[in-house]
Amino acid sequence: MRPFAVVSALCGLVLSSSSIVSAEPTAAPLSANFKPHQVFKNVNLVRNTNLEKGYARETINVVVENVDKQPQSEYYLSFPSELFDRIGGLEVRNKKEAEKGRFDVEAVEIDSSSDVRYFVAHLPEPLAPSSQITLGISYSLLNSLHPRPAAIEQSDRQFLTYSFSAYVPSAYQTVTQKTKLKFPSHNVPDYTTTDLKTGEDPERQGSTYTYGPYNTGKVAPGTSYPITVRYEFTKPVITASLLERDLEVSHWGGNLATEERYWLRNNGSTLLNHFSRVDWTVANYQQSPSSAIRELKYPLKPGSVDPYFIDDIGNVSTSRYRPSKGNREANLDFKPRYPVFGGWNYSFRLGWNNDLASFLRRSVSGADSYVLKVPFLEGPKMPEGVQYEKVVVRVVLPEGARNVQYETVAGPSSNGLPSADQFAVEFSSHKTFMDTLGRTTLTLSVESLTDEARDSQLVVTYDYTLFDALRKPITITLGLFSVFAAIWVIGNIDVSIKKR
Amino acid sequence: MAESLVDVLLKGSSGQNTRGLLKVIILVTISAAAVSSRLFSVIRFESIIHEFDPWFNFRATKYLVQNGFYDFWDWFDDRTWHPLGRVTGGTLYPGLMVTSGVIYHILRFLTIPVDIRNICVLLAPGFSGLTALAMYLLTNEMSSSPSAGLLAAAFMGITPGYISRSVAGSYDNEAIAIFLLVFTFFLWIKAVKIGSIMWGALTALFYGYMVSAWGGYVFITNLIPLHVFVLLCMGRYSSRLYISYTTWYALGTLASMQIPFVGFLPIRNSDHMSALGVFGLLQLVAFAEFVRGFIPGKQFQRLLTASIILTAGLAFVGLVVLTMSGVIAPWSGRFYSLWDTGYAKIHIPIIASVSEHQPTAWPSFFFDLNFLIWLFPAGVYMCFRDLKDEHVFVIIYSVLASYFAGVMVRLMLTLTPIVCVAAALVLSYILDTYLKITPGPVTRGNLEVDTSSGLRSARNPEVGITSYFSKAATTSSIIVYLLLFVAHCTWVTSNAYSSPSVVLASRMPDGSQFIIDDYREAYYWLRQNTPANAKIMSWWDYGYQIGGMADRPTLVDNNTWNNTHIATVGKAMSSREEVSYPILRQHDVDYVLVVFGGLLGYSGDDINKFLWMVRIAEGIWPDEVKERDFFTARGEYRVDDQATPTMRNSLMYKMSYHNYNKLFPMGQATDRVRGAKLPAESPQLSTLEEAFTSENWIIRIYKVKDLDNFGRDHSNAVAFDKGNKRKKANKKKGARILRSE
Repeated sequence: MRPFAVVSALCGLVLSSSSIVSAEPTAAPLSANFKPHQVFKNVNLVRNTNLEKGYARETINVVVENVDKQPQSEYYLSFPSELFDRIGGLEVRNKKEAEKGRFDVEAVEIDSSSDVRYFVAHLPEPLAPSSQITLGISYSLLNSLHPRPAAIEQSDRQFLTYSFSAYVPSAYQTVTQKTKLKFPSHNVPDYTTTDLKTGEDPERQGSTYTYGPYNTGKVAPGTSYPITVRYEFTKPVITASLLERDLEVSHWGGNLATEERYWLRNNGSTLLNHFSRVDWTVANYQQSPSSAIRELKYPLKPGSVDPYFIDDIGNVSTSRYRPSKGNREANLDFKPRYPVFGGWNYSFRLGWNNDLASFLRRSVSGADSYVLKVPFLEGPKMPEGVQYEKVVVRVVLPEGARNVQYETVAGPSSNGLPSADQFAVEFSSHKTFMDTLGRTTLTLSVESLTDEARDSQLVVTYDYTLFDALRKPITITLGLFSVFAAIWVIGNIDVSIKKR
Repeated sequence: MAESLVDVLLKGSSGQNTRGLLKVIILVTISAAAVSSRLFSVIRFESIIHEFDPWFNFRATKYLVQNGFYDFWDWFDDRTWHPLGRVTGGTLYPGLMVTSGVIYHILRFLTIPVDIRNICVLLAPGFSGLTALAMYLLTNEMSSSPSAGLLAAAFMGITPGYISRSVAGSYDNEAIAIFLLVFTFFLWIKAVKIGSIMWGALTALFYGYMVSAWGGYVFITNLIPLHVFVLLCMGRYSSRLYISYTTWYALGTLASMQIPFVGFLPIRNSDHMSALGVFGLLQLVAFAEFVRGFIPGKQFQRLLTASIILTAGLAFVGLVVLTMSGVIAPWSGRFYSLWDTGYAKIHIPIIASVSEHQPTAWPSFFFDLNFLIWLFPAGVYMCFRDLKDEHVFVIIYSVLASYFAGVMVRLMLTLTPIVCVAAALVLSYILDTYLKITPGPVTRGNLEVDTSSGLRSARNPEVGITSYFSKAATTSSIIVYLLLFVAHCTWVTSNAYSSPSVVLASRMPDGSQFIIDDYREAYYWLRQNTPANAKIMSWWDYGYQIGGMADRPTLVDNNTWNNTHIATVGKAMSSREEVSYPILRQHDVDYVLVVFGGLLGYSGDDINKFLWMVRIAEGIWPDEVKERDFFTARGEYRVDDQATPTMRNSLMYKMSYHNYNKLFPMGQATDRVRGAKLPAESPQLSTLEEAFTSENWIIRIYKVKDLDNFGRDHSNAVAFDKGNKRKKANKKKGARILRSE
């Protein structure tokens, strides 16, 4: 019994580029030995793996040819099932027409015992037989980097390993393929060498290593050739196991209040011995790099005011806020109470206020309809990147807002967000500050995100009338009035036991 | 026109209304001033719970809010006093937590999203606003002048003696107890004056609330009977007294027995016997009064004397017998220490080790009460002038509270209300005398006419100050005193009583505030990076904070109910590692936390408290721990090269100075608290390893090592790791012994 209707289809009038929110009924899971039909062939595949951050970012450019007799529109992406849940921000586009936006990508429901799991990308126009299309596939792999050695001395350097297959997992036959690895530094002490091609494999050029190109026309799809690289990574591996982000819209106050709650962990090497303050003081004095989280830099939107940085036991006094000047971003530099070494946790919350006017406007279509455009994810901006295992964004709209619709804005390049069906959506009502009905709340949760999604935008439209705005003052006035009336009535009752 | 308007406003019934309105406005302003003067720490630091005990109250309140009242009532806390646990629900005064819980639920009902922490932080200032109002009511009963009450309310609102216990964040029992104390006394005075059952019952109700809130309720339990007793001795028995006292005693005792922690104490504990005795006495006196109506005077006198002596003797013998047989508990140690200030130091070091149980130094009276302290005797004298029942109360209260405040710093709190009453009585008298416009100076001409008949003074009976000069001089000096008082209160509050003590503040060279947050840094580290059931051993001072901020089980805390357990911790801290390690293992200790101020010059650290640990441990194990061994031959308490071997081998010393010298150039390590140059070699720890040290080294946390994998003892294992040659002498065969006794 909600006073508003949740409309799943969107009018494309107001907003130009959008991913459509759809709630299609999910089919029964496919059996474990499901194989997509061999209707495509990967003519040429280049995979770029970027290891400069605390997670692996892979971009695959692949020339796909339809080898079937019918036009085909469903391209399957296969992944080993242990990787499947850690894929974040998967996006498929036509490389040649990137500005046309992303394709719809769905996870394929498949029996959980299967070794391989699939996403299916829907090409907007079916690919004619024996014609080609270049797909740009990009995604991040969370928690895919493992520190080796797992425990180091406090002042030692940290090394991470990354394991992958020389043959890019694909549902289709691939003719040629190669993999380019980009390391954060030149120091790569261990890496697998292969004899899959003539000459040196991998080819090394500075901090870029190239495996391949291989001619894999004869290799069956799904074959893997394990490769492990181990490289120096002196920065922390920042992981947020959960980020809760609340955006509260207040029409009366003209305010957009943001609060974020982080459960942070450093996934880097743990300390072999315990923490030594002496060594840390020395390291700090010398400014030597460390695998501990010293400080997080958080740029805030221009006009952000009243920032706070607290944790379970109060204000964290080590934060520093530099307010924005003019149109520049404000900066909140916050230091955790203690340096967060590998395996250590730190949870905290921070929040700030913004002027609502720069995020909200009346809709063109109706007088009582509003459009709210807010960042979907902000988060610290660190060179080593941040990975989010789960992000829950809660948009608290004013009391009485109805007809709520939302979408994420997609630009010409990847916004780091997965496609719409990866979002879990929930509408609820949230009672606070003497609400009668409760405020309409839109909760979106996504798993496996990275800070690539920092600039993504969320657009919410809703209807909100003048009566809704006046509901609270009227309720409070009536409430006070009835209290006074009750007091007056009670005060006039004579309860004395004396004779009248 | 204007003058007539003023006349209209000040005279007649509308004048009364105006004055009433003015009073309300003044009282509201006083309350606002009382609240806001307590907010220094919130503005300067943050909304944070202060010190030690409030952290427990805060934790208990959170438990109450989360689990409901009945769970709170039955709360057995297994996260403190490991491995004993504590029957928390039955060993605390729930009034404070329930009050904040109720406020929380009311606000939640109105869907106002307020954090329970903010309620706890602001409860004390809120209630001090109410205290000011209660003070107004109480003082109004003492004086006919309307200004006395207002003055008393203002004094109570800002006097440092009360502020010291009720700044924002000081979420302790006293926060609401002083309001209840003053209000109960007001109700009692009202009951005695009117002799109404209703006021007596209200007194009992608030007395019950007071019992649920603070152990200091015993003060009321003894003061009211004493008041009645003195009135009886003065021959002022009246039915008013009988009605109010019996109502209060019967209902109040029942109410107090509802608190599990108090339980049957009101009938079994010596502290409460005076109330029972006076109750009995009052019945006898009432009976005697009744009988007097039937029997002629002479015989009555004899009968009365005989029966009183007989009954008193019987009652006394009964009391002695019951005490001897153990039905009535003898006086508690804390009670004895009220009469003999040296008692606690000898017999119960744990009470003496608390700084607020020390006798008061003279300057602190002036510091806490400023000019009220010298107005106080004058006020008591004023009470002697018109000695009504309520004035007798003020006198008794003054005498008792003055004594107690002199014995224990902490009890300055109970003295403060009566000082405010007395000072307000004097000041209002002075002001009434000097500020009264009528009678104005009488013209000389009129006086000349009447000289012929009688004495001049008799002819002109109007007494008053007539000279404008003396009026102006006195009034302005009083105003100066009042202004000085306000300035003093503000200064004291801001400088002495507004530090959270969890967070320390210092100044940077450029004058900006620098916050030293080591406590929370270390507690939060524990909270985030140790297993949820890791047992932390520390000296008992930090038990509540660890429970509240680090959320980890502790061995001992500020609820010092088990002296032996504390002594065990003291022994572990003050013994050699070989002795301490088995104790740590037996108590499942995972981490040991010490407070070390040597780097920063923070004097409240564990090395300075160390002697108390030694003393308390010595109380239980006089053969194993000896205070003398920690002093050098010349009787000095040293930590440098000259420190005694016992000192240098004690776990506390080792933990405090472990690795400390690495922070300094060779041989330059100094302890800034004790101004001592430390030995060049760092103490060697073999059974513990450093787990965390906070930024300014205030908190150091050590992890207790597990048993050695090869069954060696730890000192051997450490020596082996270092590549030292194994000492032959250490070879001992036989089963490993964990037990220390």
